[in-house]
Amino acid sequence: MEDPRASSLNVSQPALKVVDLKKSFDGRPVLKSISFEVYPGETLGIIGPSGCGKSTILKLVCGLIQPDGGQIIKASEEIGLVFQGSALLNSLSVRENLRLALRNRRMSRREQDEQIEKTLRLVGLGDHIDHFPAELSGGQQKRTSFARAVVYNPPIILYDEPTTGLDPVMSTIIEDYMIELEKELRAASIVVTHQLSTWTRTADRVIMMHAGRVVWEGKPSDAMASDNAFIHQFAHASREGPMLQK
Amino acid sequence: MSNGADAIEDTGRRRAQRRFRNPIDFLEQYFGSGVGIIGHAIIMLIKVWILIARGKIDWPETFRQCNMIGLKSFLVVAITACFTGFAMSLQISRELVLFGADTAIGGVVSLALIREIGPITAGVMLAGRVGSSIAAELTTMMITEQIDALEVMHIDKVEFLVVPRYLAGVMMMPVLSVYAMFMGLLAGIMIASSAANLPVATFLDSVKQTILDRDFHVHFMKAFINGTIVTIMSCAIGLSTRGGAEDVGIATTRSIVWTMTLIFVFNFIVTSLTYAPR
Repeated sequence: MEDPRASSLNVSQPALKVVDLKKSFDGRPVLKSISFEVYPGETLGIIGPSGCGKSTILKLVCGLIQPDGGQIIKASEEIGLVFQGSALLNSLSVRENLRLALRNRRMSRREQDEQIEKTLRLVGLGDHIDHFPAELSGGQQKRTSFARAVVYNPPIILYDEPTTGLDPVMSTIIEDYMIELEKELRAASIVVTHQLSTWTRTADRVIMMHAGRVVWEGKPSDAMASDNAFIHQFAHASREGPMLQK
Repeated sequence: MSNGADAIEDTGRRRAQRRFRNPIDFLEQYFGSGVGIIGHAIIMLIKVWILIARGKIDWPETFRQCNMIGLKSFLVVAITACFTGFAMSLQISRELVLFGADTAIGGVVSLALIREIGPITAGVMLAGRVGSSIAAELTTMMITEQIDALEVMHIDKVEFLVVPRYLAGVMMMPVLSVYAMFMGLLAGIMIASSAANLPVATFLDSVKQTILDRDFHVHFMKAFINGTIVTIMSCAIGLSTRGGAEDVGIATTRSIVWTMTLIFVFNFIVTSLTYAPR
């Protein structure tokens, strides 16, 4: 089947371009001049210690908060966001949660149902379509959150700590779904995480942040051998290095 | 374990110190946040009316809310209205019998019920049972990023969450108010006939002679205002709260205090505009 986004998205052009992004909270700068690009079919990992501004970038990209400076250029306003805590509406079933994402689209109810069932099969939740979030395990809730983020085939997908709080086996399953979704949808993705296995397995390219700045950029395979003090300390989970210095 | 408890106590102490550092700052913060909530609620109400005028109504969700807000409140409203009717009828019967005016018991009891007690009882019970629940639910949705999820999916949170609750509130509140009035009246009849030996027919005759159409109009106006106050204030408080689990409790308490206070204030304003001596 032909990808309906193919005509609107040029793979040689970035799907998302962030230029000189700045953001402060209560006068405290959280992001100090962040720039990066993500291309269609590419997954960019954003890593760094807690509180370094990773999740703030995602909130800025999807418009939940406004930047103090800089530019965010998006190929489309259609963005799927997988929240850290799943953020499913508890009063709605899995089907209804996904239907919400299709609410403002010109689709018949039958087309919506077909799309919902197809997406849930993709994340292995075809049998849980009429369950409520409270009846699902943490991993199933996370996969439902994935399905809701991708049910309308957004050209940009953002993952906020997708494997945090999950056991190693479930983390691997979630990472496999992310890799499968990337192949299936060819979207530009950003994964914000500090889980080593997640960024090494799912990201094509990684930027490391510290104190609101990008301190390293490269391929996950280069991270372990890098002589950059920040990525070396982070990737080796070491106490020695610049990250704990004031 | 003790370190954690010490840390919590220390955080609480620091928060209390910050709050009571300066009484002027405290008052400014308190009234400032109050003005903010009222302003937020007024803007939300205008937006709700615009959405309703444009036909942006999710009827299945509205009927679900009618069930949550209205049908599930019937028992608690009946109990409170009955006991209010018992107490009021007992007091009125005792005094009127002393003056030989026992035939007026029905009229006085029904006037109090239709003009004040019915709308107030239903409003206060709804504020406690429904307003707190709406505030807690929406605050939880805020802190668990469910509202952010709606925004990412380009779903208007006021259209999706507030309009059905508002419509259910203003549709069910008059029903509950009339219901509270009738339950109070039934309780009044029981007390008047048992404590003052007043025949039921005499009681009802007095009711018919005393109650005017205008009393019903004012009753429904108060019920509509109370339904608006409970739903809009609770939604405004719920959707403007951020933070953690502690803030759910704070939002719930704030919602009950604000809605009950405003119910009594607006009840007086409507009464003074409609029944003041000329």
